[in-house]
Amino acid sequence: MRFRSALIALSSLLLIAVAAAAEQRPHYGGTLRIAVRETPQAIDPASMNGGESENIARLIFENLVRLDANGHPQPLLASSWQAEPGNQRWRISLRDGVSFTDGFPLDAASVAASLRSSNPAWKVVAVSETVMIETPSPDLKVPAELALPRNAIVHRNSDKLAGTGPFVARDWVAGKRLVLAANDDYWHGRPFVDSVEVSFGISDREQLLALDLGKADIVEIPAESIRRAKAEGRTVLSSEPAQLMALTFAHDPRNEDELHARNALAATLDTTSLAEYVMQGGGDAEAGLLPTWLSGYGFVFPVPRLNQQASPVRLQSARTAWTLAYDAADPVARVVADRILLNARDAGIAIQLVSSGAADIRLARFSLASLDPETALAELAKALQLDPPKFSEYSVEEMYAAEKLLLQPHRVIPLLHLRRAIAARSNLRGLSISPDGEWELGNIWIAVEKP
Amino acid sequence: MKGRVRVPAYNSRKLKMLFFSRVLGALVVLAMVTPASASDWRTPESQLAAKIAATTGPGVVALDVTNRSSISSADMEQIRTELTSVLANSGVRVWQPDQAAATIRLTLAENLQEYVWVAQIQQAANQESVIMVSLPRPASFAAAQNSQPLNLHATPVISQAEPILDFAILEGSPRRLLVLGGTAVTIYEFKDGRWLAGQSLPIKTPVPLPRDLRGRIFLRKDHLFDVFLPGLVCRTSGSAPLSMNCQQSDDPWPIQTEDAGLSGFFSPTRNFFTGALVPGILKQRSAPAFYSAAAVPRQNYILWLFSTLDGTLHLLDGINDQVAARVHWGSDIAGVRTACRPGTQVVATMQQEDGRDSLQAFEVPDREPLVVSQKLPLNGNVTALWTSQAGDGITAIVHNPDTGNYDAFQISLNCAQ
Repeated sequence: MRFRSALIALSSLLLIAVAAAAEQRPHYGGTLRIAVRETPQAIDPASMNGGESENIARLIFENLVRLDANGHPQPLLASSWQAEPGNQRWRISLRDGVSFTDGFPLDAASVAASLRSSNPAWKVVAVSETVMIETPSPDLKVPAELALPRNAIVHRNSDKLAGTGPFVARDWVAGKRLVLAANDDYWHGRPFVDSVEVSFGISDREQLLALDLGKADIVEIPAESIRRAKAEGRTVLSSEPAQLMALTFAHDPRNEDELHARNALAATLDTTSLAEYVMQGGGDAEAGLLPTWLSGYGFVFPVPRLNQQASPVRLQSARTAWTLAYDAADPVARVVADRILLNARDAGIAIQLVSSGAADIRLARFSLASLDPETALAELAKALQLDPPKFSEYSVEEMYAAEKLLLQPHRVIPLLHLRRAIAARSNLRGLSISPDGEWELGNIWIAVEKP
Repeated sequence: MKGRVRVPAYNSRKLKMLFFSRVLGALVVLAMVTPASASDWRTPESQLAAKIAATTGPGVVALDVTNRSSISSADMEQIRTELTSVLANSGVRVWQPDQAAATIRLTLAENLQEYVWVAQIQQAANQESVIMVSLPRPASFAAAQNSQPLNLHATPVISQAEPILDFAILEGSPRRLLVLGGTAVTIYEFKDGRWLAGQSLPIKTPVPLPRDLRGRIFLRKDHLFDVFLPGLVCRTSGSAPLSMNCQQSDDPWPIQTEDAGLSGFFSPTRNFFTGALVPGILKQRSAPAFYSAAAVPRQNYILWLFSTLDGTLHLLDGINDQVAARVHWGSDIAGVRTACRPGTQVVATMQQEDGRDSLQAFEVPDREPLVVSQKLPLNGNVTALWTSQAGDGITAIVHNPDTGNYDAFQISLNCAQ
């Protein structure tokens, strides 16, 4: 009897073993095909604006430092760094044996030249084998700043750009197409795929079609389509809510009336409904600049919830008449703008939509530039053309105070934090997306379908 | 709380080593970070209480606590109780909302690196005050492994942030552990119940080593050890002081153990064996390109199992090359002998539903592998699986996604009832 039970158990084990998926080692070879909506005119870290082309640029160019998934700086092209007392001068040592893809060795002089160009406020010099960075004021966040996309190390030789990354550009048609080939001499080991083909300017609909037809391996999924893409059984990878959608005003309020009107507008916007219905749960309604998962305190900024209020704030007079611009190329921006219009009308605020040209208010998206919260806040302030936040203690309370100060002039009304997502073919392995939406493509490989 | 602890420096090669002492017995217990205990909350509680008291002054307050973090419900209750007590020591009594002069909404939140406790204090008509304290979050909470009485046993050896390709243990007094990494071989000594790092012999290579780097370390009689890496062979000096010299080489790697008598050429720029065999299996001089192989000795010949690049299992007996049907093992397999059971077993990797790997042992009485053990779930993905030099065990390296560490294990098959 015991023998029979054991036999049955063993048989069931065998069935399980046969049915189980097997873990494969990475395969070399193949071409990775990516389709994106953006139409960049250059793949140059100096001209990156937070879009998906940053993810493409990372295949060619590398930084001295990278941030891990917890926002901690880790060495990439740098081997070590050390701040001098006062945290204003930083000495960076470089990794040995690294060359740009044009054959030029990565040395202190080339790194210093690259960083000088991307950081005019820094004094950067090559000192023997190391790079010395002097910041205008004490800055404990230099390592995190070195991980920013604009600080990727580039070797510029007249019009030609070379990086140290796992791929090298082979064919480039501005705004349309980029072909990358594996860098056989890459210092961290040749990538698994032989080449990467990127098609730019592909609409969301065309991207999904290309994925379904097997003509693309990775496509973007807009925040509002994440839920549906998952329900359709696609392989979807999404970030934390990492892209700020906000209303930005062209200038500070000119008088008390205008300040009051901006307050009224902020209080009347039903961002919770925007998150749930327009964005289909692809983001969170938050009133802070930084999302809560990054700051830890974002929920403190109150989100207006119309259904919980007796009545929205209503202006005594309807004198305010603003123009609101939105990105006509952003498929969901028009819908969001229409909702804002309706909410504003309830508060007695007249807003007129314009799709181009100068406007009083602009509906825009801002990607998180860093997983380090202070650096992310400073970069957001820069993108929003606000005064740079100042830090000395680097405490969470100080960061909250700085963010509150940035919001005080009412130059910006945060609406939503949106997820960034991609869909991939099921035979791709080693693909991941960081909490802030950075694609990790370096270790990607294409699995062989089992016979 | 004042500024977070920051160290404005990074020095590479500073390995954050976690040392496992050897675990006697059969249970697999991975490194666990002890969750924050009662005393851990005292400091932030005191800091928060002091800030609250400074804002409200002595009096009666209402306290509402919400948990938005990974802190457990039990800990949240503990924090509420202890904070109430600490506040009382500062003259702030927590009471019913209708009798309170101030309302405190305490939210236990977190970001990527810290717990963030936010107290929003509303006092009568005053504007809301927001105060915060933060404290570092524990790195991770590695889950304990399946501890059922299994036939496959994993004994933790060492764990480190840097990749481990292979390791070997030198018995003696003291015992020594040789850990092959991607950039060096590090020698450890077993002292006071743990492995202590000693000499590190750098791997000097004139060319970049491939991704998914693989390598083997073999102990030798006339010198300490040889290391095989793609396109590179390193050999230690035969006399003191110990040094290691690496040279570009396409020498074939011993497959399984040297006693098995088969070597294979490893691609210098990839992560697999090319399939060319030395001296070959009887008449067969090559197999399809493969990731790993295991020998199953028969009475008159050796049946070789190859886990190939296309995901199939090929069985070569010197004459035939047969593909095993219905077998879906992972890329890594290794042969192992047990004292309590005749023949050779083959241990293979497989993927669990959660994406992590498990190991399972098989026997191949004919051409169809049969399961002979339960699955041994692992806390990550296997990055290396090699037969130990003596052939009676397996070295397994597991990349743990929770800690980011590479955990080295000795795997053995045990016939305990």
